[in-house]
Amino acid sequence: MITDNIIITGLGVISAAGNNLPETLDSFSRGKRNAGKVSLFDTSLSYPVFEVKTFPEKNYPEGQRTLRLALIAVDEALKDAQLEDELSEYRVGVCLGTTVASQLNDLDFYKSYRDHGSASMVPVDRYLKGNLAEFVSRKIKSKGPSLTVVNACSSGTDAIGVALSWLNNGLCDIAIAGGADELNRVPFCGFGSLGIVSPDLCAPFDRDRRGLNLGEGAGVMLIETKGSAEKRGAASDLYLSGYGSASDSYHLTAPRPDGAGLEAAIHKALAYSGIRPQEINFVNAHGTATPDNDVVEGRALHRIFGPGVKILSTKGYTGHTLGAAGGIEAVFTCAALRDGWIPASIGFANKDENIPVVPVMEKTTINGCCALSTSLAFGGNNAALIFGRRLKA
Amino acid sequence: MNILGMGVISACGRGVDYFEKALNEGWKKPSEIEVPHLKNRKSPVYQVDLKDVSEKNLFKKMRRSDKLSKMAVVAASEAFRNSGLENMDKRTVGIIVATAFGAHVTTFNLLDDILDHGEAEVSPTVFSNSVHNAVASYISSALGIRGPSLTVTQFYFSFHYALQLSRLWLDEERCDYVLVGVAEQYGEVLRYIYDTKLTMAGDGIIRPFNFKPTYQIPGEGAAFFLVSKRNSDNVLCKFENILIGGGAEGPGPVDLDIIDTDGILADESVYERSLSKDVPVAAYSPVFGSVMTGSAFNCAAGMLMLKNQIRYGNPVKDNPHGLNILNDTRNGPVELIRCIRYNCYGSNAVIYLRKKSLAND
Repeated sequence: MITDNIIITGLGVISAAGNNLPETLDSFSRGKRNAGKVSLFDTSLSYPVFEVKTFPEKNYPEGQRTLRLALIAVDEALKDAQLEDELSEYRVGVCLGTTVASQLNDLDFYKSYRDHGSASMVPVDRYLKGNLAEFVSRKIKSKGPSLTVVNACSSGTDAIGVALSWLNNGLCDIAIAGGADELNRVPFCGFGSLGIVSPDLCAPFDRDRRGLNLGEGAGVMLIETKGSAEKRGAASDLYLSGYGSASDSYHLTAPRPDGAGLEAAIHKALAYSGIRPQEINFVNAHGTATPDNDVVEGRALHRIFGPGVKILSTKGYTGHTLGAAGGIEAVFTCAALRDGWIPASIGFANKDENIPVVPVMEKTTINGCCALSTSLAFGGNNAALIFGRRLKA
Repeated sequence: MNILGMGVISACGRGVDYFEKALNEGWKKPSEIEVPHLKNRKSPVYQVDLKDVSEKNLFKKMRRSDKLSKMAVVAASEAFRNSGLENMDKRTVGIIVATAFGAHVTTFNLLDDILDHGEAEVSPTVFSNSVHNAVASYISSALGIRGPSLTVTQFYFSFHYALQLSRLWLDEERCDYVLVGVAEQYGEVLRYIYDTKLTMAGDGIIRPFNFKPTYQIPGEGAAFFLVSKRNSDNVLCKFENILIGGGAEGPGPVDLDIIDTDGILADESVYERSLSKDVPVAAYSPVFGSVMTGSAFNCAAGMLMLKNQIRYGNPVKDNPHGLNILNDTRNGPVELIRCIRYNCYGSNAVIYLRKKSLAND
């Protein structure tokens, strides 16, 4: 029996593909890829990136780009859920994933300290007050738990998984969960040093893929118990039914070649949901377009779901948004279930004989009611979320 | 939720025995190091000795890891060893690492690479070690753990939320055991921030009952606990309850309060208001230093008291507010301990530790 007592009443997203969900779906529908050179900081490196070029006009905190991205997505999700931005009358938990916002990596601050033995405390104060979940929690006057997940590229997925546990165990009635990350010099140089950044636009699962493109953004969902939604007169057909995660215990940056960790995570999510693999209608894969990730992930998905499962990677539209990716892709998965279509897995052209699955190459109608979103991360984390849509009687 | 094993590494040394010895012996002068931003002045610090984080077999897969990961792996491995359950099925074990600042020292090393050698010459090893969850990854690899793994950060209550989530994972049967703990590293830039924003205890003494003004001495280390709903002969004690944000009732009268005062808040008066004259109070930060996730070390002290049925006297006994502080170490029954932490917004998180019982949790 599928678990459907935790429902999704609000979705919010921002990335290079759009400043909100309708804009993003329009980019998907038209196959738009808003990539270009880095404009956020001066750099000697020339990899293409997916930047958010404009922000909605609102008074968001200065100098905290990740936080700003998160707040934009939170605002959209709250509006979608018909909630105000102050929620003190509810028990609301906030769980957000990130990578960049968890680090004090301000180059000017550090250079000043290094050169002169002193530096302005402004970047430090921003950092100390800018813990994502703590900030959002304070802003909405939350009475529930708040936690920032820093599980590298699976952070957003894991944050939603934590929120599911909170809701199912009565720690809160409503949860704001997802992830946010800005394009930042540190991961830009770091991923470059690992040799896994593509000089071209990324091509997930393609034979000729050359690596990932970095991006930025935020994806947030408003999740609540059925009881909470009913009490405030809200309704939704979308639900969050399962989450699973497992470690590779293998390598700091490379996925386990046999994909056992990812398989374990997916099986745990299926078991938690109470559904069988054949009930999954499509998979929004991690699909970074690195040679290793796509082989390991493609093979694991094939072993579990067989050759017929519809898979896609949306990183061709957004780039790899690191700690935000799981949140953003969870929002996309829910929107696809709600609207009944998935976009083309853009960037894919040629089948890789080492990967036994082929992603969808055009906008595709979907009829089923369950979908999976996966994340693989540095450190050997694997995480999977299962979403569902209640079919109308 | 039972605590089956604990591992602690701090300036006191490596392992439970050294931590216990430090609690018995009381305050000792911290080491002193040269600090560039304090010209011609040495500065106190509770620093982990690198020889304590050197273990050939354990570190086969982590030769190039940073000190933060090494401290965490050692503490995690000690927790396993302490539980006597090292041969369990590691697919049934989860990991939750809580940290405030994570691998900040390695992050600054990465910034050194960018400044000194240029963006294209950054070390991939340094970059991958700078990611917050590198610590959990090394624990997973070194100990063969294949269950869920999570790294969380919050500046004040990350250990409390990690513990709370451990209990949920066990209740939901995501795993049978959780290795939960904290890791923080001392660094020069962090020292600069502490010294700029807070007051350093120039005489090397943190005074936990001063409340205002407060004095800090940076510390570092890692503390890990193997927790489970299962019982064993080695159970140290149990996490009775974790209450975050106030509002809920505790599980009854306590025998001892342990408070997290360590000078990281410029004003710690709020702690005084949470104490009762009838309940003795202790604070052990003068043993391991000022650490954002110091709650885990204070909890470790509480666990040892419940296990050994002993009350460790306060390492620093300055008591300007006339509190009912534990002056001397003495044997005596201890059933329930309350560990209290406040954040800078006046909100609190409380962990209740109870003496072990024979029944399953």
